[in-house]
Amino acid sequence: MAWADLTTIAPIAVAVLVAAAILVVDIVLPGRRGPAIATALVGLAVVALVILAVGRTPATAFGGAYSADDLTTFLDILFVCIAALTILFAPDYLEPRDLPVAEFAAVLVFAVTGAMLIAAATDLVVLFVALELMVLPGYLLVAFAKRDAYATEGAIKYFLLGSFSSAIFLFGLAFTWGLTGTTRIAEVAAQLSRLASGGGISAGLAMGLALMTTGVAFKMAAVPFHYWTPDAYQGSPTPVTGYLSVGPKVGAFAIALRLFVGALDPLRADWLPVVIVLAAITMTLGNLVAITQDNVKRMLAYSSIAHTGYILVGLAAFGGGQQLGIQGLLFYAAAYTFMNLGAFAVVTALQRRPGVTSQLTTFAGLGRREPLLGVLMTLFLLSLTGIPPLAGFFAKAYVILAAVQAGGWLTVLAVIAVLNAAAAAFYYLRVVVYMYMREPAEEALPSGQSGLFRIGLAVTAVVTVVLGLVPGVLTVVQQAARALHS
Amino acid sequence: MNVTDLPILSLITFVPLVGAIVLAFVPGDRKAAIRWTALGFALASWVLSLLLLVGFAPAHPGFQYTEALDWIPAFGIQYKLGVDGISLVLVVLTTTLSWISILASFAPIQERVKEYMISFLVLEVGMLGVFLALDLFLFYIFWEIVLVPMYLIIGIWGGANRIYATIKFVLYTLVGSLLMLVAILASAFAFQVAHGGSWAGAFDYEQLAAFAAHGGFATDLQLFAFLAFFLAFAIKVPMFPFHTWLPDAHTEAPTAGSVILAGVLLKLGGYGLIRFAVPLFPSAAQTFGPAIVVLSLIAIIYGAIVSIVQPDLKRLIAYSSVSHMGFVTLGIFIFQPQALQGAILQMVNHGLITGALFLCVGVIYERTHDRTIAKMGGLSALTPVWAATFGFFILASVGLPGLSGFVGEFLVFVGTFAASPAAAVVATFVMILSATYLLWMFQRVAFGEVSDFLHGLGHHLFDMRPIEVATLVPLGTLVVVFGLFPGLILDLIGGPARAMMDGVHAATAVNLLFWQ
Repeated sequence: MAWADLTTIAPIAVAVLVAAAILVVDIVLPGRRGPAIATALVGLAVVALVILAVGRTPATAFGGAYSADDLTTFLDILFVCIAALTILFAPDYLEPRDLPVAEFAAVLVFAVTGAMLIAAATDLVVLFVALELMVLPGYLLVAFAKRDAYATEGAIKYFLLGSFSSAIFLFGLAFTWGLTGTTRIAEVAAQLSRLASGGGISAGLAMGLALMTTGVAFKMAAVPFHYWTPDAYQGSPTPVTGYLSVGPKVGAFAIALRLFVGALDPLRADWLPVVIVLAAITMTLGNLVAITQDNVKRMLAYSSIAHTGYILVGLAAFGGGQQLGIQGLLFYAAAYTFMNLGAFAVVTALQRRPGVTSQLTTFAGLGRREPLLGVLMTLFLLSLTGIPPLAGFFAKAYVILAAVQAGGWLTVLAVIAVLNAAAAAFYYLRVVVYMYMREPAEEALPSGQSGLFRIGLAVTAVVTVVLGLVPGVLTVVQQAARALHS
Repeated sequence: MNVTDLPILSLITFVPLVGAIVLAFVPGDRKAAIRWTALGFALASWVLSLLLLVGFAPAHPGFQYTEALDWIPAFGIQYKLGVDGISLVLVVLTTTLSWISILASFAPIQERVKEYMISFLVLEVGMLGVFLALDLFLFYIFWEIVLVPMYLIIGIWGGANRIYATIKFVLYTLVGSLLMLVAILASAFAFQVAHGGSWAGAFDYEQLAAFAAHGGFATDLQLFAFLAFFLAFAIKVPMFPFHTWLPDAHTEAPTAGSVILAGVLLKLGGYGLIRFAVPLFPSAAQTFGPAIVVLSLIAIIYGAIVSIVQPDLKRLIAYSSVSHMGFVTLGIFIFQPQALQGAILQMVNHGLITGALFLCVGVIYERTHDRTIAKMGGLSALTPVWAATFGFFILASVGLPGLSGFVGEFLVFVGTFAASPAAAVVATFVMILSATYLLWMFQRVAFGEVSDFLHGLGHHLFDMRPIEVATLVPLGTLVVVFGLFPGLILDLIGGPARAMMDGVHAATAVNLLFWQ
């Protein structure tokens, strides 16, 4: 291990230190949330600075198992934003329920450290370890309200199916290792292109590919591997649901980028049809089931499945030969992160008082009761629908442009995607109907938010509005996408 | 300083947005201040559009006052605005109807005035942007922006069945427009491929139109893209059989919402067909032309027949819109210069006349809280000024020569007759029908015995207030002026209309050469 390796992995190291520091602060100053949150936020800011500093000079570490390139930087920053926003939103929900804020923040930072490691992993073993590092703290977070029956149920489902899918994924990696004799992604790709050059692939390789695809599909909650999602999402404390809907999902797409785009690129012709079908059924089923939901949290859970489908369109477009697909995927992931976290934040704000449900009726008359929350929720929902000039629209336009470019079946996929977007408008706008066009059943008390919470809301709202309008974002996305093929 | 030095198109478009932002900071209980501020910004945009009208050079071909800025250079997407005769008349129509609608909302809208006025101003931004955008991506953004405020206006301030109506409106429109987005991206990509992989100009309307005029788009792309564009615009027009959202939306919308819906929103569809669908995909337009002409004729007749039996005043006018807008699509897809000019004229006239009819119905509804024709009767005795005004606009809508409604339809007839006498005969037949349902409705409402229902209202039923007269006088004046001097509009739209028809026929010639 060289000194240079340590500086390359500095972001991960600092993130682990931050998580540990939060725990230490909590031990030294027990029962006070202020210092722990301050440590977490300042620490994450430091992590972000370290990421940007390291990212200036792309490098690899540990003999090519870890890569700090533009893609790593892009995803790492996104993960840090996810962690920071979740920490801004969570205390308002946790404190009234007597749930420990400091432990929450520490576990969350550990989870995000795993996600950051995924983004940098260029070795199959590191990839798997990183994946487990990301999901294990996730199980804890789902079960955070340990006296709540729904939370326990959701956590058990999430844990069982999560472990199951990890095992499947690992099995797939093992097949690949067995056939290629290496775990380095670049070498795997080279070996695979040799193996696949004779046209057609061996049964063992096909098996490995199928198992890896299944494992990743589980993690990103693509239909038909999504069954754990609604229960895990509904049972979790609402800020955790917000985190789950973006953190592990973007993490799973980071795996897809490193694995499918990096290692399995030579097998493109074999995984492309699968990804196209996955994308089509994921968005369609996610939307159809979301339409029938009366609970906003559950609705957002299903809608997040639908968004998995839209993001998969980007991957499929890459499979169809368009590098633009990767750009679309990354842009979509960023836009989705902020708008979805924002939407969950509004739900969190309403549920600050214990006992308030996330049923649609909770939102009745919100536009009059709390105009600001109403306007923000409308903004996030419109962005999720894909109405311009909000971030969600540009994200959809990006992946659809990539798909249209790829042509053939991908054009059909693009049409399926836009028809889905129109269907999604129905359930997103239904929340707006409740907020602005119905009167509340009973006099609801004002929710009230802490200053930190307001800052988080402001950040998500501003990013949702400007992400597509600022041309510079595109350059960053293009650089990150290019890193995969340098 | 010269007017031409200012980015006047951006000013016209975004002055209402500034108004909306200002209103966001006014306390919600200061209703009078909110109303007058909103009116002030709408009037400012209107005055600017009149300056544009004065400064516009009708003889000059192509677009004027063009503003172009690179926005997303990686894909050649620009912020580009420009105006020609066709967009100019529709811009002025929009700014005019916008301030009239805001003025007409002063009394009826008492709840959540601030949100209402903000929605209305944002709506105006979207509509103006659609008429002025010369970049397809930018156009699409404005096109979708229109959707949200209208959704809120119908859904919050509408009638009893408003939620059903507004969701139907949004879903119909969204399905069409999202498919159009795919078509826009596909066209831009085809342009990019044809230009050696360079995105420069791929969303630029002028470059795309020039590219299309030389047969640049492959036939199968044209067919797909034209259908996608057509669906988006046909839903907005609305053409039979995509019209079913319209009667619900019109009936449930507040009065000013109906005015803008009929006056401007439907024109977005017609404008889109004229500006984008036909010039960009000329040979596909010709392929589908006959089928669309048949659909237009069905819309004209069906709308008229269904209007006859409507029991509700607003619903009757809504169905009459389906019929009248059928003349617009007929005029476009018969591919004759006179008919196209007639179609554009018909759009302006329909906006003025139907807008005024909805205002008149709103006046009565505000007093009676009812729109059922059967409950009315003898209004000419109770509210003579209102009855005279309503009668005037009914006659304009029927197409009385001397009023503006006549000229547009007449030009469409002339053009259609040259291309297809049978279609012209069918369309003319509807003139009788429209006289039937409109005049019969007017007779039941205005003449005869004063109904018991109206008697029961007593002093609640009073004649028009000055503010209501103020909203209708400008529209009435324009109806007379354009009826007597249609040249005022025809001079503006003649050039672009002829150029467009030449383009369509030239493109067909190119394609025929390819086929041989």
